[in-house]
Amino acid sequence: MATRIQFENNCEVGVFSKLTNAYCLVAIGGSENFYSAFEAELADAIPVVKTSIGGTRIIGRLCVGNKNGLLLPHTTTDQELQHLRNSLPDQVVVQRIDERLSALGNCIACNDHVALTHPDLDKETEEFIADVLGVEVFRQTIAGNILVGSYCAFSNRGGLVHPHTSIEDLDELSTLLQVPLVAGTVNRGSEVIAAGMAVNDWTAFCGSDTTATELSVIESVFKLREGQPTAIVDDMRKSLIDSYV
Amino acid sequence: MPPGGRKPKLPPTFAALSPFARSIIFTAASASAKRPPRPHAAAAETPRQGQDDMPRQPPKRARRAEPSSDDEEEEERGSSESEDEEEEEDSFGTSESDGDGDGESSEELETVQADFAFFDPKPTDFHGVRLLLKTYLDSKPWDLTGFVDIILAQTTVGTVVKLADDDDDHDHHQGQGNGAADKKNSNDDDDLFGLISVLSLGRYAEHRCIKDIKEYLLSVCADKDAKKQLRSLLEGKASSVGLLVCRRFVNFPYELLPKLYDALFDEVSWATEDEPTKELQDSFRFKHYLLVVRMLERKTPAKHKSKSIKDDDDDEPVIYPKLEDEIFHELSSWSFTFPIRSEQSAQQEMKNYKEMGLVMAIKAEAIPKFRKKLEALVSE
Repeated sequence: MATRIQFENNCEVGVFSKLTNAYCLVAIGGSENFYSAFEAELADAIPVVKTSIGGTRIIGRLCVGNKNGLLLPHTTTDQELQHLRNSLPDQVVVQRIDERLSALGNCIACNDHVALTHPDLDKETEEFIADVLGVEVFRQTIAGNILVGSYCAFSNRGGLVHPHTSIEDLDELSTLLQVPLVAGTVNRGSEVIAAGMAVNDWTAFCGSDTTATELSVIESVFKLREGQPTAIVDDMRKSLIDSYV
Repeated sequence: MPPGGRKPKLPPTFAALSPFARSIIFTAASASAKRPPRPHAAAAETPRQGQDDMPRQPPKRARRAEPSSDDEEEEERGSSESEDEEEEEDSFGTSESDGDGDGESSEELETVQADFAFFDPKPTDFHGVRLLLKTYLDSKPWDLTGFVDIILAQTTVGTVVKLADDDDDHDHHQGQGNGAADKKNSNDDDDLFGLISVLSLGRYAEHRCIKDIKEYLLSVCADKDAKKQLRSLLEGKASSVGLLVCRRFVNFPYELLPKLYDALFDEVSWATEDEPTKELQDSFRFKHYLLVVRMLERKTPAKHKSKSIKDDDDDEPVIYPKLEDEIFHELSSWSFTFPIRSEQSAQQEMKNYKEMGLVMAIKAEAIPKFRKKLEALVSE
């Protein structure tokens, strides 16, 4: 299910949070409403951790992670690093890396299997991404923009990219990522997809300006509509047919 | 964000900034590289004082800015078609044409030529206007989106200031543009430098955002007398009260201000005749204007007593980020201040000052006086 929320009158929820299948990071400050919106949806399944990175609240844009690991920029303080190591599950490897392009969330987009990165990222960083996050790394641009982490958001089930992405690019990316992709917007026409929303395999949080149309596109491409009989049957189809035979 | 073509490398500090913030950073190098001298074109100067003018930017990062392809918007364009272009041709001269030296220009004022133009508000300005109004009230959530919507819907009274566009269709079609996503227009849309409008509290009384504003102002007002006056304006006399909203970035050229306010008050008087229904015409016959602005108040200088007297004299008791607020405050019938809870800016010179909100009411009769004083102040 997709939920609409705000951080202090700001609809850019992907800036102030980082959501994966194993944990969720939320910025400090802001009202408790923001934090409780995440807790309400996620607390049963995954830990929701309040943190800052380098003393700032824009944690969603500075770090990148998936269920296997979390990469932090060099601006992260030792206390923040320790806090994250303590709060996250043990199987999540938390690593601080020295990369000139320190806004990792803007430069790298990933799910649990594939990552797209900024074309100018260091070779060493690319290796860290492959090791810590356990993904295959592709250097790409999206609609001509090199900040791939900002202009697309994808999970293991689907993805949303910059609205000006051409059909050829969409097909190419979809093949690389092995998930269905759609070009669209969030927060009433904002092209910066990843800043406007946070998504994982079963839930999404969008800015409160997101229109009903945008929300329905998001729910459909990320396959968030649970409880639909067709969805359940599709998943179970293989085992059903086996049993009929 | 121009989608075509790959952008040149941006320094790491830029990666986390919004496209808009990046697009308003320019250096002498980029300015000279792309701009041919155009002596006949109208231009307004934007003295760029790398120091503490940019919102949300520490000073030294702005200096080391590398040219970004967004800079093409900052070039001189053809003369704008809209009504109130400021015409100033004196240029601060050749400091801009020093191409590559990033060392030598570090202490000089860098100026860039830019054409500003006034436009009627239109729906595509949503994100730019929202950005300007983000700090209108404090950080408590309120219906900001609805507020932006009513400002944009009121095309007869209200002006937005953007960089002049040399796309003829854009202006001739009354701002409706080309319908389809025109990339040039979409580049321009988020680059709003300023906004001015006045909203009738009576006409919009039922809107969620106006109710939120009224509730907020009544809750932060500590002064009993002011509260009584405020309540009467917000409730009894609401149909003759206009909420005057003027928001702009700190580096907005002050020379444009008299024209901006003139545009607004002229549109208000035209609306009292031109609006289609009598009800709408009457909604613009304002007797009072209400303003919600910010100001900086000096914190009690307990430590300064030991310092020389010269320090105390130099420190103003109150600083108005927008210069016309001082004139409004002088001419106001009543006003009150309230503390702002959200994060204060961490600038060095401002550390002795606390940011406060200021609410004031002006009688409509005082407006001609205001216009004269503003004109006088700007031409000093």
